[in-house]
Amino acid sequence: MALMHRRRAWQNRFWAYLVLVALSLFVFLPMLVVISQSLMTNMEVTRWPPQIVPVHPTLFNYNDVLTRQDLRLDLWLRNSMVAATGHTLAVLVICAPAAYAFARLRFRGSNALFAILLLTIMIPSQVTLIPNYLLMRDLKWLDSFNALIFPGAANVFGVFLLRQFFMQIPQELEEAAVMDGAGYLRRFTQIVLPLSSNALTALAIFVFLGHYNDLFWPFIVTNSLETRTLPVGLTILNSAYGMQYRPMVLAGAVLSTIPILIVYIIFQRRIIQGVTLTGGMGGR
Amino acid sequence: MTGASARPGAGPDWRPAWLPEINLKRREEIAAWLFLTPFLIFFAVFIGRAMFAAVQMSFYDWHALRPSRPFVSFENYEELLRDDVFWFALKNTIVFTAMTVAGTTVVALAAALAVTQPVRQANFFRVLLYMPSLFSVGAVGLIWVWLLNSQFGVINYGLSFFGIRPVNWLGDPALVLPALSLTTIWWAFGFPMLIFIAGLQGIPEHLYEAARIDGANGRQLFFNITLPLLRPTILFVTVTGVIGHFQVYGQPFIMTNGGPGRSSYTVIFYFYHTAWASFRMGYGAAVAVALAVIMAVVTVVQFLVISRRVEY
Repeated sequence: MALMHRRRAWQNRFWAYLVLVALSLFVFLPMLVVISQSLMTNMEVTRWPPQIVPVHPTLFNYNDVLTRQDLRLDLWLRNSMVAATGHTLAVLVICAPAAYAFARLRFRGSNALFAILLLTIMIPSQVTLIPNYLLMRDLKWLDSFNALIFPGAANVFGVFLLRQFFMQIPQELEEAAVMDGAGYLRRFTQIVLPLSSNALTALAIFVFLGHYNDLFWPFIVTNSLETRTLPVGLTILNSAYGMQYRPMVLAGAVLSTIPILIVYIIFQRRIIQGVTLTGGMGGR
Repeated sequence: MTGASARPGAGPDWRPAWLPEINLKRREEIAAWLFLTPFLIFFAVFIGRAMFAAVQMSFYDWHALRPSRPFVSFENYEELLRDDVFWFALKNTIVFTAMTVAGTTVVALAAALAVTQPVRQANFFRVLLYMPSLFSVGAVGLIWVWLLNSQFGVINYGLSFFGIRPVNWLGDPALVLPALSLTTIWWAFGFPMLIFIAGLQGIPEHLYEAARIDGANGRQLFFNITLPLLRPTILFVTVTGVIGHFQVYGQPFIMTNGGPGRSSYTVIFYFYHTAWASFRMGYGAAVAVALAVIMAVVTVVQFLVISRRVEY
């Protein structure tokens, strides 16, 4: 009996390794091939059978994609960073106090208001795109950071997430502060917020990544080469050079993922835990 | 926010003499609304107003370049019902979503089952397998459009070892949606994988032990314990998957431009074209509202189908 168990456990582990190795290859090989081919010349890449390992690795494509006059990867990266950071800060500043009100304070209409907010999560964001685009146009916010930062700052999912988290904080901690004469603002900023750093970081990371990777909205509210964001820039790169200079396009793709990978390496544990905590911000 | 910082116990000196005394309950209520104000302003402008405006616009012939915007009642919706391009895009979107959600769910479940076994470096595998989910659709599209290239693509090269002749993945109307789906599975299975891992870790170990003592084999354990107890997780994964992948446009936008012909044209792609290429904002708003209705119906149906089978 014990022997059978051990054999079964061994079998399970064998299948587990097989699946994991196969999936790791599925995930990793495409990245490896792309990195490798971004180090090749155009001649090497357009050849059959395809080269997998570069014979004379060169950084020429990276230099090329960063210095061409009609591409501005440096500016696009800066725009993406500034916009995503600004947007993340706006979401936290706007949503955290609202979440505190829903979690802790009693006021008339609290439940009804919260239910209305939750209902709007069900409605796909495309519904708001046209009116918001026209508003951006009328405010003369097209091609500006304002258009990238403020629409979407009222993140209902963020309020929902933070409210759940704030409600788990023991009420007694706040009551002790009340004894010391703390008002609501101090209870919020000095007790609840510091105790919620996990939830706040998880929310911040996913709001940041979601915004950094967004394509549709930046695509419609930016027009000039200088104001594009990185994902939009990649589509420009692809349509301009995809046919003739594939290695350069691949170099651009690799470059665009480096900031994300740095964030991932630093925060991997928090990101992995945060996905389950936040439900991936209701998406991927 | 000074009105919000009621300070009981701090003495009366915080309150100017002209300010009337407010009782505690009232104070809490005022504080709550002050805390909510910034959020409510943004919500009202960018979500509440925008939703009403979209519904309203969908009843007008609202063209971005024409000054006159006549009220047309339900004409936009009637046109939508007769619009072959819309229905074709909807069909593509449904096919793509079905393949992608099925694929990501199966791959994610397999990965989660493997990673929750007592394997070495489980965390390394988890981190690696989630990595593509962090990339932007731009990077994913640029990578896969090249891998799937019919002339020089590595995928065709790999298949050639099995004697398979070069396949025109993105140029063949029958293959373009499966190819985009494969791309998307690669990109997106990490999220359902992590959700499944959490779900699997929530299944109590003693259930498996009890079943093993009764002589159940691995397959029986999976179908009689794991799968039934994962049902809420599967519901969550498929519902969020359908909602997410139904809004696909980046992959075809970058990799195929909706082609060949219109074989990979999707609803959101069509929405983009009506509003920002043809400038028909009113009609575009009608497309968006229709999308919202379709997605609400699909979600409700999914809930009914999956929750009906729960008999435990």
